[in-house]
Amino acid sequence: MSALDGLDAFALSLWLLRIAFLAGLYLFLLGVGRMLLRDLRVASATTPGELGRLVVVGSFEGGPPVGASFPLDAVTTVGRDVNNTIAVDDPFVSTDHAVLTFRGRGWYLEDLQSTNGTYLNGAPVIGVAPLGFGDEVQIGQLRVRLDRPRPVRAA
Amino acid sequence: MTAVPEARPGRAARSSLRSGRAIRPALRRRELALLLIVAATLLVGHASLASTEAGHLTLGNLHLLAAYLGALLVVHVAFIVTGRRMDEILLPVVAMLGGVSLLVMERLPQDLVVQHFGGHAFGLADLQFGWLILSLGLLGALAILVRSDNWLRLYKYTWAAAGIALLLAVFVFGRDVNGAQLNLCVGPICGQPSELVKVILVVFMAGYLADNRELLARASTRVGPFRLPPLPYLVPMGAMLGIALGVVAFQHDLGSALLYFLVFLFLLYIATARLAYVVLGLLVFLAGSAVLYEVYPVVRLRVDIWLNPWADPQGAGYQTLRALYAFGSGGILGTGLGAGLPSAGGAPAIPVIESDFVFAAIGEELGLIGALAILACYLVIAERGMRIAATAQDEFRALLAAGLTLVVVVQAAIIVGGNVRLVPLTGITLPFVSYGGSSLVANAVVVGLLLALSDRGVEPPASPRPRGRAFRIVGERLP
Repeated sequence: MSALDGLDAFALSLWLLRIAFLAGLYLFLLGVGRMLLRDLRVASATTPGELGRLVVVGSFEGGPPVGASFPLDAVTTVGRDVNNTIAVDDPFVSTDHAVLTFRGRGWYLEDLQSTNGTYLNGAPVIGVAPLGFGDEVQIGQLRVRLDRPRPVRAA
Repeated sequence: MTAVPEARPGRAARSSLRSGRAIRPALRRRELALLLIVAATLLVGHASLASTEAGHLTLGNLHLLAAYLGALLVVHVAFIVTGRRMDEILLPVVAMLGGVSLLVMERLPQDLVVQHFGGHAFGLADLQFGWLILSLGLLGALAILVRSDNWLRLYKYTWAAAGIALLLAVFVFGRDVNGAQLNLCVGPICGQPSELVKVILVVFMAGYLADNRELLARASTRVGPFRLPPLPYLVPMGAMLGIALGVVAFQHDLGSALLYFLVFLFLLYIATARLAYVVLGLLVFLAGSAVLYEVYPVVRLRVDIWLNPWADPQGAGYQTLRALYAFGSGGILGTGLGAGLPSAGGAPAIPVIESDFVFAAIGEELGLIGALAILACYLVIAERGMRIAATAQDEFRALLAAGLTLVVVVQAAIIVGGNVRLVPLTGITLPFVSYGGSSLVANAVVVGLLLALSDRGVEPPASPRPRGRAFRIVGERLP
């Protein structure tokens, strides 16, 4: 106690209170920071089950119903041939009609020199076209919209 | 068809979603843990303040703080009971900022703002407490009740018109505050509509950008050899922004004008990822500022103070200089709550310390450490808001979340930058900390909407698509 004799006990406890308040602020931030880190780790660790989905917005006699949706792989081919990822039984669709690829951060659409062409928002696709969520693609008589993947439920 | 289409939720399932499915209460442990830290910290802070003022160790008068913490608990429990799966970090962060605000308002002279209701006089802390409780209630109600965004999405032009009407009403019926025409009074209650207009503006811009994002991002106008953004498609938004900027600038509300413009620019960039817009916007901003500097005495005065506050230390530069001295006397650890803020002639040395310059008060009494902690809280809000935007289900929700986040964070940056003389001072409040009902209520609306947008427990109702509906009649439906 002798070391403390020279100190005013009140001043000391006041100083401790001040520091405790500041420490509390940082304890709070530390807690928040840990939660944010955990949240980000979980988000980066769980790869989404799908990268996007195609929703049918316009169909034809005997085609998939409007509103049906197809989860997409990183490379999704569309055509009349049954070996395509999405096989469309439509006479206006070529055997190997178009391919959708996910490269890095976004989707791209390529027409595989089909007879009737592939249309992106009404414009014919020449070469490889970047494809955004909400864009409409027409393949033969089938019209599909690229939608965001369904959010993954957090564990 | 080799790929089997997934079944769409049937009509029955969707209507049950709409009528609200069974409520399943869910614990929110992280929120509770953080709120407990907030409560403990604020109690220590209050003890520190009360002891400094009393001269002996005491907890002081805990009425207001206890009631505030109780209100937080009520909101927390309401979230649990209604079973919403919302963000768990935003509420504690806002609670911490609001609590610090309450402490600072208790510490400042109570006669800075006095209002009389039914024969009783209410001082600064009482009034701020009332507004905080009202804001918490609004925040909780919005977070729990808002289940669909269609009322925002579908009526964007109506909202825009309402916002402009509100600004024009201030123009006609407004009252002056510190040389700026800001207040609109309905009976005894006065408010600053420019605070609410910022939210309305974001709703409009998110709606417009969500609809026209593709065009704005891809198309372009050719002027000679230059490829400019498609300017015609910017006209509706530009017009809205122009009117808002014109009105608030005419009312000398430079802070709001700057906030609207910056949020517009950031949101445009988020929606289109085209740097050309940012460059163009900054050029327009520089040109506009140069013109305003020449023709507008207020702007010139603010810039001159910023460049050299010592030119007129007892007059124009007084406020800014006093704030700088406050930061200096605070140092790293601060003077402690209740120990700083030397007064000049009975009033605190910094004019408007309870509102625009509240960050200077925090800088003096909590020091660099405390001020940085407050800034970190805004960073956390930014992170949460952008995460909500990144995981949003569609363009409108993403842009809305990003815009709402920007409104809070950019506003804090503008006023903190002004306080520390990093940028010219433009009067605007520090969200959740400054005294003032309009500011608290508007920012509570922002956070309430963010929380509602972050809910993952309920799938949002399908956005109405008239075109899709037309196809649905043609298309064949599976049972």
